[in-house]
Amino acid sequence: MLALIGATLALGLVTACGDDDDDGGSASTEKSGGGTIKVGFLSDCEGAFGSFFEPTASGFNQALIDKAGAKPASKKPSEGVTGATVAGKKIEVVGYGCADDTADKAIEETRRLVEQEGADVLVGPLSGDEGIAVANYAKEHPDKTFINGIAGAQDSTLKVQAPNFYRYHPDGAQWSAGLGDYAYNDLGWKKAAIIGDDYSFPYTSLAGFVAEYCAIGGDITKRIWAPLGEKDYSSFISQIPDDVDGLYVGIGGSGLINFVKQYRQQKGELDTKRMMGNVFWDDPLVLKEVGNSLIGGTTAAMTAGDSDDPEVTGYLQRLEDSYGKEIAGLGPSVFTYGYYTAAQALIKGLEEAEGDVSDQKALQDALANVTLSGDEAPYGDVKLDDNRQAISNIFVKRIVKDKTGDGVPDVETFRRIPDVDQTFGGFFSADSPAPDRTNPKCEKRDPPAWVGEAEEVSFGQ
Amino acid sequence: MTPSAGRTSWPVLAVIVVVAALAPLVFTEFFLSVILTKSLWLGIAAASLIFLSAYGGMVSLAQVGIYGIAGMTFANLVEADGGSAAAWSPWLAVVAAIVITVVVGLGFGAIAARSVGIYFLMITLAFSVLVYYFFSQVTQLSGFGGVNNVDLPALVGNPGQDPTPLYYTTLVVAVLVFVGLRYVSRTPFGLALQGLRDEPARMRALGFNVTLHRILAFGLAAFVAAIAGVLSVWYNSRITPGSINLAQTIDVLIIAVIGGLYRLEGAWVGALTYALLDNYSREWTPRVGDALGPERFNTILGLVFLVIVILSPGGLVGLWEKARERLDTRRRGPPGGVAAGPPAGAAADAAN
Repeated sequence: MLALIGATLALGLVTACGDDDDDGGSASTEKSGGGTIKVGFLSDCEGAFGSFFEPTASGFNQALIDKAGAKPASKKPSEGVTGATVAGKKIEVVGYGCADDTADKAIEETRRLVEQEGADVLVGPLSGDEGIAVANYAKEHPDKTFINGIAGAQDSTLKVQAPNFYRYHPDGAQWSAGLGDYAYNDLGWKKAAIIGDDYSFPYTSLAGFVAEYCAIGGDITKRIWAPLGEKDYSSFISQIPDDVDGLYVGIGGSGLINFVKQYRQQKGELDTKRMMGNVFWDDPLVLKEVGNSLIGGTTAAMTAGDSDDPEVTGYLQRLEDSYGKEIAGLGPSVFTYGYYTAAQALIKGLEEAEGDVSDQKALQDALANVTLSGDEAPYGDVKLDDNRQAISNIFVKRIVKDKTGDGVPDVETFRRIPDVDQTFGGFFSADSPAPDRTNPKCEKRDPPAWVGEAEEVSFGQ
Repeated sequence: MTPSAGRTSWPVLAVIVVVAALAPLVFTEFFLSVILTKSLWLGIAAASLIFLSAYGGMVSLAQVGIYGIAGMTFANLVEADGGSAAAWSPWLAVVAAIVITVVVGLGFGAIAARSVGIYFLMITLAFSVLVYYFFSQVTQLSGFGGVNNVDLPALVGNPGQDPTPLYYTTLVVAVLVFVGLRYVSRTPFGLALQGLRDEPARMRALGFNVTLHRILAFGLAAFVAAIAGVLSVWYNSRITPGSINLAQTIDVLIIAVIGGLYRLEGAWVGALTYALLDNYSREWTPRVGDALGPERFNTILGLVFLVIVILSPGGLVGLWEKARERLDTRRRGPPGGVAAGPPAGAAADAAN
């Protein structure tokens, strides 16, 4: 018995020593090579968002390919890139970390990448709870730098306020900007219900809708929450009241596909004129599966799938050149794009800091002032606020019949909401209750500055 | 295979503890924390499962749910971001968490103890799932994005900065749990439990209250699981509903099966094996087209699990015992201690 435990411990010892050697080895190359900047990548390859692993890696890699002279190692993004250099220093991606949308696993992977693999900078994670946990971890590790991947929880910047945690994309609430205005003033919804997955990201995206819709005068009569990872939405669908003018749907990932199929079975075709969805509605994967049922529905996000802006077409073309049509098709997905802008900001920050990551102060100061424009942020300029949270524009879109002939419904962007900030004109603050099943409360108040300021846009005309 | 055969002797345990106590000198902070500390508290959780299985013949899937109750109770009673943040003293919260968990555990036990086999498995699985859904839906308790930055007792300091105090704390607790459970197995209560594992009808005929015995065993296992739950919050400094989901329930079962469902030692052997695989397979998993690669590391874990289950129903501990039996029958005297180092010599001493 003892021998077994002894042997196991010995194995552990060997493993650990092996690691020490590895670390020692890389550390010495770091010194002799004049400095390698180690970057860790953290996304989800398991759990509800597991299918976004390669798309997120493709966005991250593409920025390195565009701006750091990297070459894709293969057509599979998670196999990495070769030859990335910034400010004369080699960029080494020390690992493509895989979490499973739980905070515990995200932190274990963060620790593996930062403490074991020695990453100076971490780009990630992907989903809400993970983002809050990583922001808290960042607070305890001021000598490392963290750039959020696409985790959309408001708290990670608004409340945690880690000075070394940056988010260059709008949060989940910002993504809903413009929808409340459109629902109340254009569609004439006086009363609405909301349904969403029961965790922080949907709370946040629904909070964005509530904050704007109720400020103008709308009323939310029912909020329905289904557990994350729910396969059977039928009991939640039956709770949707009939006496409302509209329904806002905040169900994501594979859940939305199940929701739409079950809704059709239970209540017939979706009355999309009376429905809106959060960022998942026009995600290419969702459109491919159940898009035909969503035609006519409204959604909003920081990307516009139909944009014909030359910066956008350039971005998609470059993705296609690197990783082929299928992955480039997911270029407009916020998942790919969030990681793309994160890596763009990182490269810009590193250039500004002249590749100095020794104490990270230079890099962190540079990152706080980084603004993205042109090919760095093809869907719209990005600047950071005092909490290191993006202020950017949001597109309001509608899902329309297939225009391109690929059998998949398309997206028609019709509004651009300029300069959407995280606080919704002061409504959200570090002291306001975190969005949850009942918060924010539905109250009439001064609407955010962008209400009535939306620009009508029309691509491809 | 009987659990009483081939116990780990005191000198052996002492050597292991000394070796483990030296770990902070040898390993990196990362290894100490993410592999060793995690193995120790996961081992305690698995030990509560193995105790029920080895001595009571009850394979319980409720242990993760039970430690979740302890973890959530603790996290809510102390100062934290999220949850009710009652800001009690951490030690008071530990006591409250364990007491509440044991009471709930006894309640679960009262319901489950009447069933056996697959029905017992299903009822206990339902408990874990119930606890998970309770905490994921009652966000007043589980917070927005979990309960973060939980206040810890001064004893363990800040594990994020220096994992050593927490490691030693967890080590001491793990040893106490191991010794305690082993002691219980030799008491009249433990012996009666083993009796009604093997022959419930006869035990009943002898006048034992079978159901009450099982409920009490379940309560004791809940006590051990509660300790694991509190330690898990100390280790993570946070708890979210995701910490106690179905995947975690399965992981703890896998740990117990890998280690060996018939021996308490198996809990920690399994936990260490699991922690090593879970961490390192994310880098080591070779790429084989689209079928295998680092993102498919779970496949490796699944294969190891499969191989162990096929080769040795008693897990890694069972595998070792089989090997030792063979060696013993082939030649008397100490088995070759070269490969396994000094501990093997001590094991031989212990065996004689």
